[in-house]
Amino acid sequence: EWLCESCPFEDGYQSNVEAGTTYVSDEDIRYGNATGYDKDGMYLNVDGDGVYSRDGYRQSWRVEDLGLDSRVVTVEGARQGRYGYWLEYNEIPSRVFGTTETVFDYNSGTLLLPPAWVPAGTTDGFAALEDSLKTRTIESDWGFARVGGRWIASDAFEVYANYSRQTRDGIDIKSGSSYTQAALLPRRIDYATDQADVGVRFRIGSGTLTLAYYGSYFDNRNAALTWQTPFTAPPGATELTAAEEPDNNFQQLSLSGAFQTDFWQSVLAFSVAMGRGEQNENFLDYTSNPNIPGAALPRPSLQGEVDTSNYAVTFTARPLDRVRVKLAYRYDDRDNSTAVDEWSRVITDVFPSGELQENVPYSFTRSRFSAEADVKVLDELRVSAGYDRNELDRDYQEVAEQTEDIGWGQVRWRPASWFELRGRGGVSRRDINRYDEDVAVSLGQNPLMRKYNLAYRYREFGELTAMVSAPTKPLSFGVTVFSADDSYSESKLGLTSSDEMRYTVDLSWKVSDAISVYLMHGGESVEAEQAGSAMFSAPDWNAVHDDEFHHWGAGLHWSPAEGKFDLRLDYSNGEGDTAIRVDSNGVASALPKLTSSLDSLRAEMAWHFSERLDLTFDVRYESFMTDDWAIADVAADTLPTILTLGASPYDYDIWAVGVGFRYYIGERDLQLAD
Amino acid sequence: QSDDSEPEYSRKGADSCFACHDDQATLAVFRSKHAIRQDSRTPFGHGQLQCEACHGPGGEHAGRVRRGQERAPITAFSSGSTLPVMEQNQFCTACHQDDLGFGWHGGAHDMEEVACSDCHSSHAATDPVLVSSMQAQVCFDCHQQQRTQAMKPFAHPVREGKMDCGSCHSAHGGSSDTRLTQQATNDTCFGCHAEQRGPYLWEHAPVSENCGDCHDPHGSNHPGMLSLRAPMLCQSCHSQSGHPSIAQDASGLPDATPSPLLLGQSCLNCHSQVHGSNHPSGSKLMR
Repeated sequence: EWLCESCPFEDGYQSNVEAGTTYVSDEDIRYGNATGYDKDGMYLNVDGDGVYSRDGYRQSWRVEDLGLDSRVVTVEGARQGRYGYWLEYNEIPSRVFGTTETVFDYNSGTLLLPPAWVPAGTTDGFAALEDSLKTRTIESDWGFARVGGRWIASDAFEVYANYSRQTRDGIDIKSGSSYTQAALLPRRIDYATDQADVGVRFRIGSGTLTLAYYGSYFDNRNAALTWQTPFTAPPGATELTAAEEPDNNFQQLSLSGAFQTDFWQSVLAFSVAMGRGEQNENFLDYTSNPNIPGAALPRPSLQGEVDTSNYAVTFTARPLDRVRVKLAYRYDDRDNSTAVDEWSRVITDVFPSGELQENVPYSFTRSRFSAEADVKVLDELRVSAGYDRNELDRDYQEVAEQTEDIGWGQVRWRPASWFELRGRGGVSRRDINRYDEDVAVSLGQNPLMRKYNLAYRYREFGELTAMVSAPTKPLSFGVTVFSADDSYSESKLGLTSSDEMRYTVDLSWKVSDAISVYLMHGGESVEAEQAGSAMFSAPDWNAVHDDEFHHWGAGLHWSPAEGKFDLRLDYSNGEGDTAIRVDSNGVASALPKLTSSLDSLRAEMAWHFSERLDLTFDVRYESFMTDDWAIADVAADTLPTILTLGASPYDYDIWAVGVGFRYYIGERDLQLAD
Repeated sequence: QSDDSEPEYSRKGADSCFACHDDQATLAVFRSKHAIRQDSRTPFGHGQLQCEACHGPGGEHAGRVRRGQERAPITAFSSGSTLPVMEQNQFCTACHQDDLGFGWHGGAHDMEEVACSDCHSSHAATDPVLVSSMQAQVCFDCHQQQRTQAMKPFAHPVREGKMDCGSCHSAHGGSSDTRLTQQATNDTCFGCHAEQRGPYLWEHAPVSENCGDCHDPHGSNHPGMLSLRAPMLCQSCHSQSGHPSIAQDASGLPDATPSPLLLGQSCLNCHSQVHGSNHPSGSKLMR
């Protein structure tokens, strides 16, 4: 046994803690999305990580953005080979709009209008609107807490368990409709989801077997959304109610495993999972209007039940030294066994429909078979080909049986360890047994409509990749081009085609041992065409969507070997635009382009002041602008029948400048033992 | 040494290696989980082969070299390694076999022969791919199209480092087609969006089947990560009698005749319960 006299095994504690302050130049709530910097001014922040080791016990911790609403704290500990545990807490601030205004105040579960509110039939009659509008930001906070552990009983047996609690509270946008009008409401949300994931893992010979339980329990603290309609309403229909997302749960048992044999170096892997989802939230009444005689509900709650089955098996083998094959089959079933009843709808809390309508519990069964072979024709040339067959059976929908056949091939040419060229392409055809127009008509749908997820589709796709990369050379380069053309040639109404192109270029250059730079570029273009019918007959309008997005990134890392500093510069730019052209009865019209522009620059420097102390400097600049006709110049009363929140497109330029220090506890650098 | 003889290990193990390889990046392994003396499973555990547990016998590599003679190579784990990927990975899977469960075998990473070292930094005190805020940058080294998509104006907070690729995808497997963490696409989405799970009294058929019918989870030019802008997205499937599918063009903008079908939340101005409704009067997804 080698002793390793020079090995710098670490017993004890080693960490670094970074503390500092950041000044943010301007306030814009959107800049705080996922960052926590949603106000201007000073922020105090702490980051750091550390490890404690002794006698085989190891505990580590990590903190990111402790002073912000985007904080992350993780702790892990283990006596390696015997047990381990972990704790994690993180928050994600979701900041959507800071420009929104509303007339509603939240009180005891109801969105109330101001006492002086004057209802009207259209928004231009809201005499008290201007005096009643108050800023209400659309924002929420996600919180994730997780705790778990693992116990390794032996080489052959292990138990693990995870429990997590996820919360989300804040305000989002939900519309509340009345007769022919609606108001966009600042809805309070208060969600909590508990999840448990527990399993045992066995090692049997050359295989592993895992038996697991997964449970997820969702709790919505708000059962109903209640609001006062700002529009003139019939007696009894001034306060309206909609259902919130119901409490629900899902539980699943699964058994999965993988076994290897020496025969053809084959592996047989499988997974069997069976789950059940339930939802039994008490129903609201048909209407909150006391002037409409309430019909009895068929049952007080849904008693909803969905059973899921997921089976999969994969076999891979190497029958010849240069040949690898794969066969796989997968089966997924969603069986919604919720009872069907007849329901008597009250339209917008004003008009009893006078009709009974059955609920439709959708179910589907999906199966997929795939075969693939990979042949190493030459040492530098590999050829692969595959075939997939998908089958999808649904009920209650226009298409009951749908199949898709996919054939593809790939060539990889690697003449040298530092260069690779790869081309991949294929076709797929999605067929349907028939588009049942009787079902479409029963749903009030134009029989010519072909919903794009149910329609016949022919797809051609291809991808070309070239990579140059070698650690002994200072330059690496990669380029990828992907294209896919979808044709829905049997659809008269609905999506008729969609062509997609994506590309990336990536260059990195190790200028010296101390300096490296990178440059990247990517783009995406999607052109989709659709046809519609306003006359409820043949197509009389079509729309062409051109979605474009381009991204540039560049950066530098400068870290002299024995230097006094470490410098990083990163810049990225994203430009998106969407052009929509509409041709209706021969009259062409183009909507203004939807655009977005993001520029983001970050410079980070650590000045090695002493063996234990770094001074840190951080400068960020971000500019984000959007132009969106859906909300631009749409004030609260722009639409006669919709009271909106008057959100504006995004537009900010913000600098954030930070200074701080990083202190090292324990040995900063590892030194070989003498 | 004849061709069929067993390769020799170095005389003094890691002490031989550190005579040359004493840089901080190499020595960082002593702050990783790979160098725990008391864990006999790790390369530096009692009785183990230290550096040569992973890099293979290094006797020839560490031996004397005459002037002008090229030093014998040793197993390397980088993109320029001459060792086939399957053989590189065997050094890792000899211990980490359990990490490759059902989903790895036959998956894209397996069939495309991705090396463990393409993603993992086995010497680093903190392996970036195991830290949520750093992970995406590792994945984006290969998945560059997804890196571009993550920069779109409406995307999950991957760019900001607050969500990682592993939130949805299982790099070591996952049992669904795109290696998702749960059995199906929707089950994966419900991991964070459990409020949409239902089942609802009034379901919206595509919602029950595949969230990806309307949303592009890697990012979009449109709010809500929708794949097309509303109302056209809705009109791709809906052309109802009594509720005609009217072309929405520039005549519906604020400076003309503002259209409630085009502006604000578009169709969702009224049909707000687009993910499903649990209201007895909610069959039109308005309650």
